[in-house]
Amino acid sequence: MKKVFAVTLGILTAIGGFVDIGDLVANSLVGARFGMSLAWVVVVGVVGICLFAEMSGRIAAVSQRPVFDLVRERLGPRAGLVNLGASFGINLLTLAAEIGGAALALELATGVNYLLWVPAVGLTAWLVMWRVRFSTMEKVFGLAGLALVAFAVALWQLDPDVGELTRQLTSPPPDEPVPTYWYYAIALLGAAMTPYEVFFFSSGGVEERWTRKDLVTARANVFVGFPLGGFLSLVIAACAATLFLPAQVQVDTLGQMVLPAGLALGKIGLAAVIFGVFAATFGATLETALSSGYTLSQYFGWQWGKYVRPKDAARFHASVLVAVIVATALILTTVDPIKVTEYSLVFSAAALPLTYLPVLMIANDPDYMGDKVNGRFSNFLGTAYMILLVVAAVAAIPLMIATKAGQ
Amino acid sequence: MRGQDARRALAAVTVALATCSVSGCVSPAWDDHDYALKAGATAQAAASSVELVRLAVQGEHDLTTAYLKVLLTDAAESLGSVNDQFGGVQPPSDASDRLRSQVTDLTSQAEDEVEDLLIEVRRGGIEQPDEAARTLERLGSELRRLGEAHR
Repeated sequence: MKKVFAVTLGILTAIGGFVDIGDLVANSLVGARFGMSLAWVVVVGVVGICLFAEMSGRIAAVSQRPVFDLVRERLGPRAGLVNLGASFGINLLTLAAEIGGAALALELATGVNYLLWVPAVGLTAWLVMWRVRFSTMEKVFGLAGLALVAFAVALWQLDPDVGELTRQLTSPPPDEPVPTYWYYAIALLGAAMTPYEVFFFSSGGVEERWTRKDLVTARANVFVGFPLGGFLSLVIAACAATLFLPAQVQVDTLGQMVLPAGLALGKIGLAAVIFGVFAATFGATLETALSSGYTLSQYFGWQWGKYVRPKDAARFHASVLVAVIVATALILTTVDPIKVTEYSLVFSAAALPLTYLPVLMIANDPDYMGDKVNGRFSNFLGTAYMILLVVAAVAAIPLMIATKAGQ
Repeated sequence: MRGQDARRALAAVTVALATCSVSGCVSPAWDDHDYALKAGATAQAAASSVELVRLAVQGEHDLTTAYLKVLLTDAAESLGSVNDQFGGVQPPSDASDRLRSQVTDLTSQAEDEVEDLLIEVRRGGIEQPDEAARTLERLGSELRRLGEAHR
């Protein structure tokens, strides 16, 4: 019974934890502009993140070492440093976007300008990371993020034309240019497969001291929790496609994104969704900030983790603190957090192969994995995804320039 | 040494062009056609903000005051920014002058309407939501028509 409870809790946490500012913004924006014609990218992204998160969870459970720890050892210091530079930079940009998202959610709830909330979000996030236990932190914000399920109720209340939504699955709007369609396809892929998710998942596995016995829990989180999180993403896109696409409203603020829930469910529904957005973005703030510390510490071989006393992992905690300060300062420059999110998604997409290739290599290495190396199916799928990710990575920046970032 | 300088200059120009192309800088209008395209895009962007505000005003009783205030503030800022950006582009001919007046009249009306609604929200609520929604619907359709005529 205890095991079933642990697995269920893990799944629920994974659903809430899957959705972050990138998923919220990208799905709503794309739903309003392209209807459901990019839903297939969410499905491809969810299968991809399940595939690689399962590998990284298995690596953590079998070797008791997180992925980044093994990257330098397996690829050498120079290739590892390139990987670290790209991952850390994107992670910092994502952290800034998440802090901005949490502050924007507080602005929607209170009417007080988000810039006044930004330092409070940064400080609270650091205090939570400093004081709250890893498992408590992960579960509380993952479960609170489940409030986003209100979007599913809102979609039902909006009474969408199911035939029209189904038609949109295979018919992109004819007046949208093809490069713009593909630009947003890549942004959605970046949103579903954000690199920090893998670093956090594998480092979290080590923090929670996973062993081979925990593989069932890890796989349940990945194969049930993440797809249900992906379902939430699709529901958000469908809400935008139902309300905004016919009115030709383009979504470019967080306030617009939650409007369907308010109109469909009233003030309580609106409050639930704003709470869910806050929980999802604040939870992701913690995950990205910790991931900054994890990647740096694991590359340089420093003592790391929340289970280690702060004075024994001083450089890890200092890295987390500096990352939070830099990200907070970036948002305080008054740069639009939604624009930061959009750019972070495209840069994430450009760096996806750097994140996922080492995972695929290590998951195939019997020196680390023993008898738990990838099977043929995982390798076939992993290789197919690597080709897809390389194509997306090569196309991301040229498409961003050619489409003026999707304008 | 000269080759190195040329490479640096080329890199600087490339970075500047790339930055400008993704940052939404408004380039000058080269001819009437280019100006009309910019006018169309401006009208479409304004119509999007107006339609959004119309949806919110129609469902005003389902939304909290704090939320409505933020939504209208964002829409007013967006309309102001659209107005400023288009106002900064110089029309290349008399024909473009007329188009400029058409677009800026509508976008200014839309901005004023949203700012008035924002004042009402801050004072306790929208006094006549149905009438406001009708005005916004009219402005939205005119902007949309203008946008579609110049795309």
